[in-house]
Amino acid sequence: MVLRLIDGIGNLTINFCNGAGALTIFTLDAIKTFISTKLKLRKVFTQMNHIGVNSVSVVLLTGGAIGAILAFESYNGLHKFGAERFIGTLVFLSMAREFGPVVSSIMVTGRAISAMTAEIGTMKITEQVDALKTLSIDINQYLIVPRIVATTLIMPFLSLFCTICGIVSGYVIAIYALNVNPEMYMEAVREYSELADITKGLTKAGIFGFLISAIGCYRGYITTGGAKGVGIATTQSVVIANVTIFLADYILSSLMSLT
Amino acid sequence: MIEIKNLKKAFGQKKITRCLDLTVEDKEFIAIIGRSGEGKSVLLKQIIGLIKPDSGSVLIDGEDITKLKGKELKKVFQKCGYVFQFAALLDSLTVFENVGITMLEDGVEPKKVRPKVLDRIKSVGLGADTLEKFPSELSGGMKKRVGLARTLMLSPKILIYDEPTTGLDPITVRRIHELIKKTHEEQQATTLVISHDIEIFNYADTVGMLHEGKIVYKGPAKDIWESKNKYIHQFIRGLAKGPIQ
Repeated sequence: MVLRLIDGIGNLTINFCNGAGALTIFTLDAIKTFISTKLKLRKVFTQMNHIGVNSVSVVLLTGGAIGAILAFESYNGLHKFGAERFIGTLVFLSMAREFGPVVSSIMVTGRAISAMTAEIGTMKITEQVDALKTLSIDINQYLIVPRIVATTLIMPFLSLFCTICGIVSGYVIAIYALNVNPEMYMEAVREYSELADITKGLTKAGIFGFLISAIGCYRGYITTGGAKGVGIATTQSVVIANVTIFLADYILSSLMSLT
Repeated sequence: MIEIKNLKKAFGQKKITRCLDLTVEDKEFIAIIGRSGEGKSVLLKQIIGLIKPDSGSVLIDGEDITKLKGKELKKVFQKCGYVFQFAALLDSLTVFENVGITMLEDGVEPKKVRPKVLDRIKSVGLGADTLEKFPSELSGGMKKRVGLARTLMLSPKILIYDEPTTGLDPITVRRIHELIKKTHEEQQATTLVISHDIEIFNYADTVGMLHEGKIVYKGPAKDIWESKNKYIHQFIRGLAKGPIQ
């Protein structure tokens, strides 16, 4: 029993290391292609439209909902100490530094990264990827790099929209539903927040975009086993990307708190 | 010339290619036959470098392609055209974009690519009206023709067809076979065709039979029905009894 458990843990560790190693090599290959070949700008813009523009509505909706919830919940706690004016600070900092980048990345993962994995996975199992290779087309340049660049570039914008929507909805709820004084609310926001809070959040979003798109492309690229394989790849891609967002968020928050 | 020496490939415990030797001369038209699951497609993909063998060598014009990577392998792809079993057309692109993809990706203007694509499309028996269609709007036979037209854009010296007539009706099968023969003659290319269809014997110069990961027969296609080889005898007549189980 104990041996089986150790065996299981060992296997999991080996699989994790193999997967992480292969993903790293895949990503480094993509970076090498990005540096050494001409970027397909048209493909980048197409992907930015697909990943970004089509995700705006869902990002705004979730950002708005989170801003409103934050205002409500923080009011319940802060009201007991007569500190309602800090609702604005709390909503602003939470949205700019954490919820904006994290929530928009999670939404993009669910909407666009899953589709990215499914698309590349389907191309893989239907031999379209092999066909491109036989036509001497660089797979990284044609398929992978435009998607990674597009996601990395578009994520800060989506994060910013999510943040703004959250802050606006928090303001509306605090002022019109919870009767907080608007001047005091804004005063607290101005007093305790800095531009760096926004830039740190946007930097995080860019890094999340890079990570989730690399995971999405990699998982699609190693798809095997037909339609079922594409389904498994898509699910794994979303799970791994979401876990990576939270792990990366912790690491980045720790590093950014040092500066 | 293609020389395959002592080629071995296994997926896990399953041995697909076992010490396979085969020589295909320049401008030869060889049909490779064998039962389903014998590893014919795996063999073709090893020949072109899409799958790395575990050991052995594949010499194309004297160069061992199993040792090549990256840009060197790209040169092999320019020399060898591969027509996929189900055409493998990019489903998000039109026929024009599929066929002209190599030139378009090299930055050539679409209006300059169009005449060449049209020329290729006509050479495989399709009309200009197909250019703006998507693969989902084409029949199986049309997809295979478009796949061939796309491959011909690179004017390869070696043409490899992976079961080009699978799933097609007898009339389309004959048309595809005639097209393969015509292309072989016009391009002066070395041609390898994997097929289950005995009609291919009417078009090929030689026939090779793959069984249990090895070539168990290679001989002239015109003599195939007189062959005393026990594998060939059983296979082409579709006999249940014989060495092939």
